Amino acid sequence: MMMPTLATAQVSGLEKLIFGPKLPASESAAWADGLFMMITWFSVFFFVVLMGLMFYFMIKYRRREGVPTEPSPHHNTLLEVFWTVVPSSSLLVMFVLGFQGYTQQLVSPSNAMELRIEGNKWNWLATYPNGAKSPEFQPLSKKETQSADGMSSSVTRGKDYPIFYLPENTAVKFRMNSQDVIHSFWIPEFRVKRDVIPNRYTTYGIQTPKLTAADTYIHQDTGQKMIGRDMWVFCAEYCGDEHSRMAATIRIVPQDYFDQKMEEWGVVGLPWEEGEKIYKSMCASCHQINGTKLVGPPWNESSDGSGQYGWGYPASLADGTTVERDPNYYRESILDPNAKIVNGYAPQMQSYQGQLDEDDINNIIAYIQTLSTVEPNPHLDAEGSESESEAGNQAEEAAGSES
Amino acid sequence: MSTLDTHAGHHDEGSYLSGPPGIMAKIWQWATTVDHKKIGVMYLFAVLFMFFVGGTAALLVRYELIDPMRDVITQSVNADGDLVETTTSTGENLRDLFSGLGVAGDLTGTQIYNRAFTLHGAVMVFMFIVPSIPASLGNFFLPVMLGAKDVAFPRLNLLSWYIYLFGSAFGILSILMGGVETGWTFYTPYSTTTDADHWRVVLMVTAAFILGFSSILTGLNFVVTVHKLRAPGMGWFDMPLFIWAIYATSIIQVLATPVIGITLLLLIFERIMNIGIFDPAMGGDPVLYQHFFWFYSHPVVYVMILPAMGIISELLAIHARKHIFGYRAIAFSSLGIAGVSFLVWGHHIFTAMGELAAILFSGLTFLVAIPTAIKVFNWIATLYKGSIVLNTPMCYGLMFLFTFSIGGLTGLPLATLATDLHLHDSYYVVAHFHYVMMGGTVIAFMGGIHHWWPKMFGKMYNEPGALIGMGLVFIGFNVTFFTQFFLGTQGMPRRYANYVDEFQTLHQISTYGSWILGLGFLVHLAVFVHSLIAGEKAPANPWGGLTLEWECESPPIEHNFHHEPIVKHGPYDFETTVPPHWDPKDYPIHPDAGKAAH
Repeated sequence: MMMPTLATAQVSGLEKLIFGPKLPASESAAWADGLFMMITWFSVFFFVVLMGLMFYFMIKYRRREGVPTEPSPHHNTLLEVFWTVVPSSSLLVMFVLGFQGYTQQLVSPSNAMELRIEGNKWNWLATYPNGAKSPEFQPLSKKETQSADGMSSSVTRGKDYPIFYLPENTAVKFRMNSQDVIHSFWIPEFRVKRDVIPNRYTTYGIQTPKLTAADTYIHQDTGQKMIGRDMWVFCAEYCGDEHSRMAATIRIVPQDYFDQKMEEWGVVGLPWEEGEKIYKSMCASCHQINGTKLVGPPWNESSDGSGQYGWGYPASLADGTTVERDPNYYRESILDPNAKIVNGYAPQMQSYQGQLDEDDINNIIAYIQTLSTVEPNPHLDAEGSESESEAGNQAEEAAGSES
Repeated sequence: MSTLDTHAGHHDEGSYLSGPPGIMAKIWQWATTVDHKKIGVMYLFAVLFMFFVGGTAALLVRYELIDPMRDVITQSVNADGDLVETTTSTGENLRDLFSGLGVAGDLTGTQIYNRAFTLHGAVMVFMFIVPSIPASLGNFFLPVMLGAKDVAFPRLNLLSWYIYLFGSAFGILSILMGGVETGWTFYTPYSTTTDADHWRVVLMVTAAFILGFSSILTGLNFVVTVHKLRAPGMGWFDMPLFIWAIYATSIIQVLATPVIGITLLLLIFERIMNIGIFDPAMGGDPVLYQHFFWFYSHPVVYVMILPAMGIISELLAIHARKHIFGYRAIAFSSLGIAGVSFLVWGHHIFTAMGELAAILFSGLTFLVAIPTAIKVFNWIATLYKGSIVLNTPMCYGLMFLFTFSIGGLTGLPLATLATDLHLHDSYYVVAHFHYVMMGGTVIAFMGGIHHWWPKMFGKMYNEPGALIGMGLVFIGFNVTFFTQFFLGTQGMPRRYANYVDEFQTLHQISTYGSWILGLGFLVHLAVFVHSLIAGEKAPANPWGGLTLEWECESPPIEHNFHHEPIVKHGPYDFETTVPPHWDPKDYPIHPDAGKAAH
């Protein structure tokens, strides 16, 4: 039997129609596609034979008034045995091949690089062997348009997704667990997914492809064309409100570029920079910093004019009372989110006790302060870091326009 | 199958539809009836109403998916020269729709979408498709086809109906209180932790729990009826295949439904009393719930499809005037499917279970394909040398062969482990089970309704109108769901309110298809209403059927038969028997008939 492999990369037009323009990313993925195509051709054959007979009988034996039904046997043991045995043996072949491909797809060699994957509502978080976490994000399908008179421009975009870098031509093993409900880590281009379950590790392995000159991506910040290959990760098990926005990008890059990133990310930054990383990876699906209201309140001024949600402004709560947004308020909201619910929001958030340590909480609070228009973080200027942090710039501008 | 002395005397009994004068008296008579035909008709209208509710939710789901959700950030310079930035969102179609109606509340676009698809799934599964054929057509025709006056336990039958209403009321209450967003599968720990301060999930789960009892009691009633109330002369292998199918269905309902009852009860215990069974935060096991749930819900897939297969056996034989090919093979494959259905639940959990279990369940799953394939071969062979008329019921029967074959064959890559890892929980699965559930069950149900409509209501329907509806349903169905196979293989996960750009074209085609499909069903609705108001009077046996319901008048009298019928010929002896109420002049019989058989 012909099983197309990645090396040959002979992908038929029909296969492109079925799986889309993106080629399978590993040998085992290509093997699974080959098996799918084999089953498809088997199905097409049976379907054409059955429907061919049906339409032929429909026309040949259509009712003619006054013409009786011709007698024919009511059963035929030989024929019935034949059409039981032939499909049964074909199914046995599919079962065995499916079993074979399944082991190829899930098992990884013992020297594989281990990437820890954590799922929570509604983010993916990857931790590298050196403890680094990816701080890079890119928005879903960003499009910029300029109005005809040049007076305004608009950007159409989806939510930000994390980017997980992986080196090319490497065996990678995902060790996954969930912080809350069941998720499922699906990389369509590797043709494999596995559920991510609370209180238990699940694993699978992939072999990242060798990059070719044709593999390029546009870097999200610089806009440069770089060598590498971006592929989607989707959550495939329904997990609530923002299930459909729980995605990530796997970016396969050359080994030396990957090593450079690891070194860079291994360095601990300033508190608000670390806070921003945590914000993007764990908080941004519910709390926006552009004033949009999502499941949770924004962390700054609301763009719909409904008021200020930022640091230093009073929060009016669902029970009618008002509290000051200060470090204690933020700390409590992280550890015991339902203690104080902002008016107009549902008690949806779960405690991050145990997921965030004291340093993390301090870093997030430091980051929230940089967003404030009333009391921006005083250390920003002192440390002279405004050129690095985008959020710091925003806070500066906002503070400037206030005064 | 002819009766003794059918036509002499005893015309004092009226049709089951004729009631006492006065609207209140009529309502009271229907509300307290123990007549299986009236109960069947009430179920028919109830499940069709639920199909309308679930179908509307489906159209809402497709409407949301016509474009993806995006933020549009516009920067412009205002009159004072300041830079103004505004953020708006696009593609939140349902939120815009419901805000326009003033019922969106604080819900975001994705929250409304999640409620819409949960509503669609829960209503379609628990309130429409599980009771659809057995409770409506089964209730009406099972006793008549057996030659009985009623089911074995008529009062229990009425109780099932009220339990169904009671359970549905809980479901509707939960929807009116704001809806549930867990998906119809109620997977833990999501379903036990979401919506913590409200009772909607508990109400919806309670609804499913109560509806289960309706299924159990109906199933039990049918099993006893088949065993005890067959007409004299009707052995097991003289029964119409529709009865075999309903019998196999009933066995599954009686055996499997208690498991879901217990599971849903455990879920309620966990939510209300905080007993940790499924929630790992309380020491439970989240995947255990999936095993319990599918141990019921997989056999129930066959509760949905077996009665449809029964209808198809009837439709193809009668409208082709041909003895069904391989009667025993079809009858035993119904029982075979029922048996194997209890062993394959694990294929819903391939991505969450251990390797050994996955391999075992994959092997067992392939087993179920064999009896299904045998049935399809037998149906096609039945058409050979028939006398085929392309009326609405037959067209639906042939459409079933087309769509159900696609549904069955596309199940193969899902049973194959290597390909399922990619396709699991993707739109491919959505397309596959809609081809089986809708292309199978709903299409057969539509065929069955058109086939038995003249018998149930004593009125004919407008044939060209029904054929137009059928054509629209066929086109709309395939446009809607065939595209979804490609969405799935290209990487679109199910239950997504939002998606990446490359999927938009396929989603749009699918949404346009759903509108054609909706239009087709509206045409059918118009045809049915027209028939009830102004339909021609139906003859007793419009198609030339040989099963016992065609011996009755249209509509049947209160006790179905004037005399207890005695069975003298098989249900499919079309080649040798002039049908009841037919003149031999109009029903030519081949001179060699009877020689070649067997």
